[in-house]
This record gives sequence, structure tokens and C-alpha cells, in this order.
Amino acid sequence: MRIALGLALAAGLCAQAAEVRFNRDVRPILSDRCYACHGPDPGARKSKLRLDIESQAKADLGGGRFGIVPGEPDRSGVLQRVLTSNKALRMPPAYLGHAALKPGEIATLRQWIAEGAHYQSHWSFIPPVKAPLPEVRGADWARTPIDRFVLARLEREGLHPSPPAARARLLRRLTLDLTGLAPSPDETRAFLDDAAPEAYERAVDRLLASPRYAERMAIRWLEAARYADTNGYQSDGPRDMWRWRDWVIGAFHQNKPFDEFTIEQIAGDLLPGATLDQKIATGFNRNHRTSAEGGIVDEEFRVEYVADRAETTSMVWLGATLGCARCHDHKYDPFTQKDFYSLFAFYNNVPEKGFVYNFGNEEPYIKAPLPAQARRLAELDAAVTRAEVRAQESEATSRKARRAWERSYAKSAAPEWTPQEALALRDDAGGDFTGKEGRELAPATEVRLNYRDPFTFAAWIEPREAKGAILSKAEDYWEGTGHGLYLVDGKLRLHVVFRWTDLGFRVETEEAIPLNVRQHIAVTYDGSMKASHARIYVNGKPARMKILFDQGIWPLDPGEPWRIGSGGGLRFNGRIDGVRVWRREMPAAEVAAIALPESAAAIARKKDGARGGDEREKLRLAFLDLGAPGELRQARAELGQARIARDEYYATIPTVMVMTERAERRPTFVLKRGAYDAPGEPVEPATPAVLGGWNPEWPRNRLGLAKWLVSRDNPLTARVTVNRFWQMLFGTGLVKTVEDFGSQGEMPPHRELLDWLAAEFMSSGWDVKHILKTIVMSATYQQSSKVDAALRERDPENRLLARGPRLRLAPEMVRDQALQVSGLLVEKTGGPSVKPYQPAGLWKELSNGEDYKPDRGEGLYRRTLYQYWRRTVAPPSLVNFDSPSRETCVVRETRTNTPLQALDLMNDVTYVEAARKLGERMWHAAGGDEGRLRAGWLLVLAHEPNARELAAATAALGRFRVYYQAHADEALRYLAAGDSPRDTAIPAPEAAALAAAGSLILNLDETVTKE
Amino acid sequence: MNRRQWFGHTLGTLGQAALATLQAKSGGLPHLPTHKPTAKRVIYLFMSGGPSQIELFDYKPGLSAFAGKDLPESVRNGQRLTQMSATQSSFPMVPSKFSFARHGQSGAWVSELLPRTAAIADRLAFIKSMHTEAINHDPAVTFFQTGSQIAGRPSMGSWTIYGLGSESENLPGFVVMLSQGGGGGQPLYDRLWGSGFLPTKYQGVKFRSTGDPVLYLSNPDGFGAGNRRVFLDALKEINTSKLDESGDPETATRIAQYEMAFQMQSSVPELIGLSQESASTYALYGEDARKPGSFAYNCLLARRLAERGVRFIQLYHRDWDHHGGLPKGLPARCQETDRPAAALISDLAQRGMLDDTLVVWGGEFGRTVYCQGRLTADSYGRDHHPRCFTVWLAGGGIKPGISLGATDDFSYNVVENPVHVHDLQATILHCLGVDHTKLTYQFQGRHFRLTDVHGKVVKPLLA
Repeated sequence: MRIALGLALAAGLCAQAAEVRFNRDVRPILSDRCYACHGPDPGARKSKLRLDIESQAKADLGGGRFGIVPGEPDRSGVLQRVLTSNKALRMPPAYLGHAALKPGEIATLRQWIAEGAHYQSHWSFIPPVKAPLPEVRGADWARTPIDRFVLARLEREGLHPSPPAARARLLRRLTLDLTGLAPSPDETRAFLDDAAPEAYERAVDRLLASPRYAERMAIRWLEAARYADTNGYQSDGPRDMWRWRDWVIGAFHQNKPFDEFTIEQIAGDLLPGATLDQKIATGFNRNHRTSAEGGIVDEEFRVEYVADRAETTSMVWLGATLGCARCHDHKYDPFTQKDFYSLFAFYNNVPEKGFVYNFGNEEPYIKAPLPAQARRLAELDAAVTRAEVRAQESEATSRKARRAWERSYAKSAAPEWTPQEALALRDDAGGDFTGKEGRELAPATEVRLNYRDPFTFAAWIEPREAKGAILSKAEDYWEGTGHGLYLVDGKLRLHVVFRWTDLGFRVETEEAIPLNVRQHIAVTYDGSMKASHARIYVNGKPARMKILFDQGIWPLDPGEPWRIGSGGGLRFNGRIDGVRVWRREMPAAEVAAIALPESAAAIARKKDGARGGDEREKLRLAFLDLGAPGELRQARAELGQARIARDEYYATIPTVMVMTERAERRPTFVLKRGAYDAPGEPVEPATPAVLGGWNPEWPRNRLGLAKWLVSRDNPLTARVTVNRFWQMLFGTGLVKTVEDFGSQGEMPPHRELLDWLAAEFMSSGWDVKHILKTIVMSATYQQSSKVDAALRERDPENRLLARGPRLRLAPEMVRDQALQVSGLLVEKTGGPSVKPYQPAGLWKELSNGEDYKPDRGEGLYRRTLYQYWRRTVAPPSLVNFDSPSRETCVVRETRTNTPLQALDLMNDVTYVEAARKLGERMWHAAGGDEGRLRAGWLLVLAHEPNARELAAATAALGRFRVYYQAHADEALRYLAAGDSPRDTAIPAPEAAALAAAGSLILNLDETVTKE
Repeated sequence: MNRRQWFGHTLGTLGQAALATLQAKSGGLPHLPTHKPTAKRVIYLFMSGGPSQIELFDYKPGLSAFAGKDLPESVRNGQRLTQMSATQSSFPMVPSKFSFARHGQSGAWVSELLPRTAAIADRLAFIKSMHTEAINHDPAVTFFQTGSQIAGRPSMGSWTIYGLGSESENLPGFVVMLSQGGGGGQPLYDRLWGSGFLPTKYQGVKFRSTGDPVLYLSNPDGFGAGNRRVFLDALKEINTSKLDESGDPETATRIAQYEMAFQMQSSVPELIGLSQESASTYALYGEDARKPGSFAYNCLLARRLAERGVRFIQLYHRDWDHHGGLPKGLPARCQETDRPAAALISDLAQRGMLDDTLVVWGGEFGRTVYCQGRLTADSYGRDHHPRCFTVWLAGGGIKPGISLGATDDFSYNVVENPVHVHDLQATILHCLGVDHTKLTYQFQGRHFRLTDVHGKVVKPLLA
């Protein structure tokens, strides 16, 4: 119904002018009714006739037939075919189910052809300029250029602007619009008391300077950027992008010019001397969903991510539905499939995977310390350095002790030394195996290893056959889960497998080791989830290694015993001894030392000059383990502690996923039908030709793309951006289709106003606060939102702007305002996401992991902007109030009005608790029912209730009181909602009655509405 | 004064505008239905995870001769595999461990795992030749529910109530219920019943088995129905005062939505209050139907929702993803679902409602003929298989007692009458009286539809 009214209005708005203009009148008809088959997409073109390009529309089609003959409608095939009563010939074709053109549309086409069939470039592809301000009769009313455009139109339509909004309402509107929160009673009073002409402007400046402003602006940007705290798709594991979110808040707070805001987010990493903040900004393009579903084809999803970036960029900055050209040329706009993949190419050079890590950020990511964290880390690093120096000094001063130890150790008959640090398993029994059996180690020796645990395995082996298991903690079949060190075709092989086919990693030496020779082997791994970080050593020397599989990103713990000589379905034939497992990655020098056949004691017996380098190192390490004097031991213990302290702190520093470039550019191809495995012609990074404006001096990378987006010659970015600001304030953009400025988008009824604002935005240096101030200072914005029946009928959606906006609050404002007016709101900028109330079981019923655990304390009362967003189970209350899902980019604000919203506001503990606290505030603010209700109205709505409202509320409050006086137990239960303590100074029945009255106020139409 | 009169009194023609924004008993596009519907409503029993057609419906007696042998390359023909079996070194075929027999006059082949389904085979139409392009759960379920593998489009139920509106006085038009299977199934996501780019009022409303059946339905503890009535009367009075002042039809709608919410507070508990159900109901559905959250309970609720005019009722039963341990897992899922699904059909039939209720049973894809993972004497698994699987339909204008389409000897490829996901969607809409090409929504400059630019009504399925 609303849609139908809107279309009728749009048609009405366009039909007013006498002269036919291509962009306004003709293009919408051609685009909607003809281009699908006679437009830009050659695959869909049904005949030679192409109507979107002037020369082709007017070309000879053969046989003396013409689609359009300028000036001669009756000779124009197009007109004949839309007019014919022969259904087989009529266009658009009846056999495809299309209706005939309406008489008005045909008349428009006829007039256009008769007047010469002049084409124009699509309006939004021509850079905006400021048109001269129109002359108006009511010049007193028009305070700003905006008002001149609006008033000129109203005068043409025979309409009048509405009177200014009442001042208290205006302040509430302004405060909600600029900060997302309501004005406090004090702020309202001060504003009402300030009779100066510049009082309103002062309020505007005060609100724009408030940190709340940045939070209010950020949330719409987060939605456009599809920001969330989880990856989405099936597994929907967690990620950490809040440092990027806080960058956005900071940028709005500093009023970072929109061109810089753009460049840093698209290409901050490519700026010369990029700062940490500029790198964090690039998280914008990593906010897309990522998949960790077992079995997916890596490339299919990687391509999806790149496409998401291209589509998001085109929607956010260009208001262009370039995604439509992913599978074929665009059907309505002059974007080719090649254009799409040329834009895609800018984003196709990230060193990334399609199948991602499910338990945190996926590469590329960076550590993003907060300033205080960076300082603390520097202190801890310095402490490590100091401890290292002390340990070295202490070792240097221990020479004497060392020589003494060497002399005594040379004579000792102790078993061979083994490095003690993190030693987890030592087996000296070994075995001579026949290829049929292995040896299970007693469970007492069990050492569990998971996928992110570093480790070192070492053993002496003398194989008789080229295939067998050396050491394993894995299921005993070839593709089984677990850790295993094997010999296959004489090559050493390390398996760390969760699921053979897609999760785990496997590496092997490039060359076979000799049979029937005793040799030392070792493997080390740092737990980094990268196969390339595994090392295989033979006799202490790193062997060249081949990566067979590299997806060690999933937990594993098969609960199998350690086995020597068996595992993975293999059996060893030969001798194995000296098996060791350490829970650390042993450095190469230490591996070389332990691989020496000479025992530490034997080395101690040699003269120092006769010892090799590795021998010296082995003896040194043995000394540190076995013979170090107290002071050295102490210094080394302190070094160990300093390192642990540093590493533990380092692990708490947040990371953020960012954009980086591969060293060698990944080639990009047009993908036929959009399919990842159907590459067509190769393409280079380029912006859509039809939009022009590329400067050849710009690099053909993201930095060039970013500069193009915010160049003065770009026809779209400024228009699209100011249009979103307009939508934010008025509920509907000047172009209603905020995501589509193409020929299927809306031709704006106030195009000159839009262009003026866009040009003003650019010439102000892309100053966001300036443009917002310009809008809210207009008389247009400050009109009353009251509407009479006549105007409502004439302009139900307020596209002509003869009144102020009246809109339901945005989803986050509904909650934030309730927290604020009840005094529960905790205002604190930034930080990790928080988990406010949510009904139990919602996560659990959809997936197998943990259920949602609400925070305790302040996490319950932070602004909604900071609420944890799990994509597959989005916060239900926000979704009720029309929050976008954060799955993909959404820039259009929608507002529905449903019974689920009513239930939510009445019964959700968030609002029940807020009502209780609001009731307490009302109790303290005044005496008597009427006084307290008046106080409630002032707290929430910034004005007093009228007599009818007050009477209804007073009657209800009285009845609630009567009820709770008779049912004190229920009063207590009602007052128990929420974690915040109740004010026990107020008698329970009174508090409960006021809580119910508070709930009444929070549920008012006016409360959830900006008037 | 009832609501309609009240609107008429207060607002004149605006009352209609306000009503049009309610999901219940209203809405729909003026040009729909495009033809006489055979189904007024749909109950979709979605078996999430991908039930194996080889063990349930697609009888392949010849397979035993190939047990343990590799699937011939000529059959596989280079088709892509999931990354879970792409690096598998061999593809040994496994025949079904479970036996089959023909049932009913139609002689449909049904597995011993589904005795109750077998008993009503003559009421069902089996599509043996269902196929999809997606090979992983997320894209595949999303494809079935929204017509696109990539999330973001409206779900089938949302399209339906957007197009046709709702018939229910006091319940949402699109209701979703979940049951868990063995508890280890693939996750589901809210967006599967989301409204995509349609307004959120068209999203499915999830009825839950724990806590509030509908989120935020119950009044706060200590705030009973009497207080709620006082509250709503005052709220209406104040909001009406506001409406008189502002003239905003949204205010009128809001007043109506609070009344609707109040009605739901009694209609939903009435719906789930199963005390009026007779012993014969439980004889039919089984004792499981007394347990909230079971598939049987949800099937019984589905019938009650259908009785109350709810247009699109979507059930999900999880945990059909048998990569390994299929001989244990599959019978458990069948045990949970066979009887209730069959009971639902019989129940609808005996109430005369099967004629105008379309019931659909099926998963997002089938399973491979070859074993995935470790093949042992008594256990095996099967990987995802998009190229053929079985779905059944009943009632609502569907021809009963037929089997459509066929697969090759290995249940690997469709050899006869392929039915694509979009074809099934087109057919479901057709039964609802909707030409699937006419149910569109303009977004980002394009007229989107459930079936994208594809889909053909499967005529042989229609009665």
C-alpha cells in the first residue's frame, strides 16, 4: 500500500512539467520496460535493436527499419511496436508475461521522439554542480539554500511549508538525530530559557562536538560495512574487529574529512609511512563474511570475498548495483561484466584463503595495541632485554664455575643429558621392531598436544625398511586423527591431522634417508597453524621439506596413547631409541646439539680446542641445565619469567584483520556466469569506464581506486554520501533508492538540492559536520511534523518536504534512549563488544556450541553500538526493530511496525528493568501521581503531558497501585527484573506501580518516535 | 466497537493503510493469486543435513555387486567433490545396509527405516530426481530456502506472505519450529527464515520449545493479564491523543499492533496448550508428541497452526549429515521423524485439510554412493551429493501415489525428469496460486524473485 502510494506520487511528480526530458521522463520507461532485452547486456539482447545507446537506437536495422526516427514518431519502430494491438508483435512481449505500456507512457515516448529523441547521459553520471538558487516568493522563510530549493518546489506545487516545530520537540529531534540519545531535562530547560537567536545553532554545535555524535554516526557505517563479531556462514566462529569499529568512532569524532576517511579505509596500508591507525582502517574490506565450513572449495569462497568487497564498495560509495554485472553485463546501466571484474581486480590481490580459521581472526591481520597497551608492551620488551643482558653477564662471570663443572661432569657416569626445558616425554627403552608390532607407552606418560601447541619430537632411528611409524599419538590408520612422525618411501613425514581430507597439515622431506644407518631425527613446530613453520632435521641439519597439505587450523585431541614404532596404520622395521617430546619449538642450534652422537660427558672430556661449534653449544646447554651456579640459575629463571610475562601480555593485545597486498599480483579474469572455475578474458584493475575521471598518475591499485572514489570528478561519491545523511535525518533519501543511483533507481524529486549539497560537501573539504549542520540549520529541517489530511493524501511520504520528519527511532535508539532515561546507560567509548540481555537458548537451539552468556554489570548497559553481533543469530530485539542482518552491505533504512515490537517493548527484561529505574527516578523527582508522571514525561519526551494523556496515565497508575498494595508478592517479583538493584527507599507497591507507569511511558508511540 | 469499526471511526480511509502493514489477516499483492490455488498453506518438513536417498527411497539392488569397488570414472565424469572427499585416495561404493520393499497400490519403494511413511506411500508423490548445484550445507540450505546460494534474499515463507498475505486472525503468517535430532547436527541460521530485502515484518516467527514460545510473548513476572489490560487501555488512550495531534498513520498502526500483541498473548498459549488433544492424537503421532522440542511435537503443532490459518509452516529437523557412522545415525533420525511425518499426513487427511495443505519433506542434498572416511564391516559414511536425491510432497494439489524421475544404477546421476530446486519452488508457488514469475520485488534496481531467472512448474506432479 505504501509502495503503491509512493509510485503514484513519483509518477505525479514527474508528470507536472510540460516539456519531456530524457533523464526524468523517458529513461525510466526505457530502463524498466525495454532495456532488459534491448539494453546493455548483449547476452540478453533479443534483436539488433539497442535502446540505451543513442546511435544504435537510431541506426538502420536493415530493410529500412528504424527503432527511433527523430521527429517522426509514426515511422519509429519502437512506437509502432508498443502501440500495436497484435499481441504477437506488441512490446513488451505478452508471451513473456509483460503488460503493455500505459497510455501516459506511450504519450511520453511519442512526444520525446517528436521533439527529436534527444538522449542525455544518465543524470547521476555527470558530476554535480551548484545550480543557481531558485527565486522564491516566501524569501523570509528560506534561511538557507536548502530552503530555497524546497520552497521553490512547494510554491510550484501550490503548497506551503509547515510552521516551525515546538522548541522542546525540535531539541529532542535534533538531539536524537545528532547523538542518538534524548536531551536531558536540564538541556531542555537551558534551551527553552535561551531566547537568543543563536540558541539553536549553539545547541547544534554542542551536539556535534559530543562524543555521542561519533557513536551515532558510526552505527550506520557499521551496517554498511557489514561489521560483526563473528564470521557468518555456517560455522560462524568469532572474530575481533572492534579496533576497526573504534577507528570509525574516532574518525567521526575528529571529523576526519570524508575523502581521508575513504582513502584510509580503502588503502590506508598503501599510504607512504602508513600508521597503525591507517592500517586498522583497512579492516573495512575485511568485514565481509568468511566461511569455515568443512568441505568448501577454497577458491569458490575466496572469490566470493573479493566480489563482496567490489559490491560493497560500489554500493557504499557509488550507489551502483555493480554486483548485477557479476554474471553478465548489467541489464539497465552501462556497466559491463568486464567493469565488474576490473573493479574486483583491485581487491583480488590479498594474501588470503577462502576456507578460514574458525576461532579468531584470519590472515592477514595485525596486532593493534591501544596506546596504553603499546606503552606497556614496550616496558615488558625492555624488561626482557634487561633480563637477557643480566643472564649473559651472569653466564660470562660463571666461567670458573663452568670449568669446574666440566671437570667433574667429565668423570660422571650419569645418563646422557637431555634438555630439561618443557621436556614432556622421555623414553630410553627404545626397541628393535620387526615391522609387525609397536610399543604403547603407559598412560602415565601421556602428553596431550593440540593444534596450536608447539612441540619438538626427536629420536635415534636405524630403519631396515623405507616405510613405518616412528612416533605417534594418533588413530592407528593411515588417515587417522592425531600427531604422527612416519617414514614413507624413505622420507620423513609429519602428520598433524584432524580430518584427513581437509583439516590438518602434512609435510615430508624431499629426499629419502638412508636405510640401515643409525641417525638422529627431529621435527619441530611452533603452533602457528602454518605448515611452513614445521621443520624436519636429520642429524641436526634442517632437511629440505615439501608441504603436502596446509590447513592445520582445527582442534584435535584423539585420546590415543603415544606409540613408538606404530601408528597411522604403519609399523616400523628397525631400531628406535632416545625418543623425546618437548612442549616447545626447539631452536636449530639446540637441535644440532642434541643430534650429536657424543654425549655431553664425552665432550666434557675433550680439550676445549678439540671441540666443534655444535659440541661447545651442547656442553654449554648441559651446563646451564645441570651445573649452573645459583646466581646464573636465578638470572635465567628471571629471563624466563620476563619472557612469559611479555608473551602473556602480548597475547592479550587485540588483533584486527586488515588489507595487505601480495608481492606478486594475482591475475584476474572475467568469470563466466560469475563462476569461480570459469575464467574468461584477463582484466586489469580499472574503474567503470562510463564514470570517467581516472587520473593516469594514480597507481592501479587500491590507493588509485580510493583517490578516484573521492576525486572531484567522481560524479557519485558525494551525491551518494550526502543522500545517506539526508536519509539519516529525514528517513528517506533525496534519492529514495539510496543503494541505486542507476537508471532503475529513483529520479530524485529534489535533484538540484541533492547536487547543491554534494557540491557543497566537496567544496567544504568533505566536511561531514559541516554538511550535517547545513541541513539541520535549514528551515526545512526545523518544520513541525504535524500533518493534516490534505497534505498526507497529497504527499504521504513527505517527499516534497512541506513538513518535518516524523519517524520511528532507529533500532539502537529505541534501546539506548530507554537506558538513558532510566539512568542505566553506561557511557564509555570503545572496547571489546559487550553482551546485554538476550533470552536464553537462542544460540544453543541453532548450533552446537555454547549458549549466549549475558555480561554482568556495565556490559548490560553500554550503548547498542557495542553489542556483540553474531551473524547467524543476530540480537533478536534489534532485528525486531529492523536492524540489518550484517550479512552483507545494507544502506537503506527501513522501519516496520509489528506486534513483535510491541511485545518486545512491553516484556523484554531490558525494557522492564528500564521502566523500573525510570519509575524510581520519577518517584524521586516529584511528589504526587501527577507530579511524578509529569516528571516521567519530561525525562523521556522533554515536555509535559497534555490533560488527556495525564488523565489516562494517572488513572492507570492509580489502578496499578491498588493492585500492588493488595499483591505485595507480585510487586516484589515485578521489581526483580534485571540485574540492577532496586531502590529500597521506595515501598515495593509504590515502586511497582511507578515501574508500570514507567513502562507505559516507554511504550508510547511518541517515545519510540522522533517528531 | 471492534478494531475495524474503530479504525473506520477514527481514521476513515487511513484505517486501510494501517491494516495493510499488519502481517496477520491482510497484506498480499493485489495481482495475486494469479490462478486458482490448490493449496492454502504449506508445511515444509526440512531435513537439515542431507538425508541419504540410497538408504531411504532410491532403491539400487544392483549395487551389492559393486560393494567395495571404486565408482567408475565414467559415472563420476569429473564432477566436483567437497574438499572432504576430494583428496580421498579411493571411492569404494557401499550398498544400503537396509532393505527395501514396495508399498501400496502405487508400489513405491521405501526403506525398512520408514515403515510409517511406507504405509501412506499412496498419498505421496516422490521426486527421485531432485538435484541442486550446492555441495555444502550453508549454500545448499540457503538455496532451498531462498532460491540463491548466497545469503541475503528472502526466504520462501517470507515471499509467500509478502505475496499472499496471511489468513490468520491472531497468529503470524509464517512460523518456524526446530527440532534437534541427535544434537550434533549442522547449525542453522536465522536468515533461513529471514525476510532478506523484504521488510522485516515478513520474516518467519520462530516458535520455541523452551522459554517463551514466541520471544517476549509473556508478561513480566509479577505483571499479570489484568494489569496488562489496564496498561493497554491507557496506552491506547494516550496514543490516540497523539494520533489526533500528529495525524500520522503509523501511530494508528502502532495502536493496532499493541492490540495484536495482546491477542497473541492468548492465541499462542492456546495454540500450544495441547490438553484438548485426544488420546487418539498421541496414538497417531506417538508419545514423543508430548515433548516440546521433538519433531513429533512440532508436527502436531504444525497441524494446529494449519487449522488456525497460518500460511507457511516451516519445520527443521537437524542432524542428517552422515559422513560417518551412517548405519547408526540414520535409523535414529528415521525413528524420530517417520511416525510424526506420516501422522501429520494422515491427520490432515482425516480432518479434510490435506486437500488444501501442501506438505513437503526433504533435505538440501543427497549423499554419495561411495563411502567417505573409513569403511568397516559394520560402519560407513557418505559425503554430500547434490546430483540426485529424493524429496516427497503430499496434498495441496499434488498427484498422490506417484514417483517422478529416476537415477542411474549408482544413484549418482539423474537419468529421467530432473527437478531442480527452482522447479520445486516454482511448483510450490504454483500450488499456492502464484505464477512464480509474477511474485517479484524491486531491489537495487532489479525485480527479484524466489526462482531468480529460472524455475519451471513440474506439471506431472500436479493432480
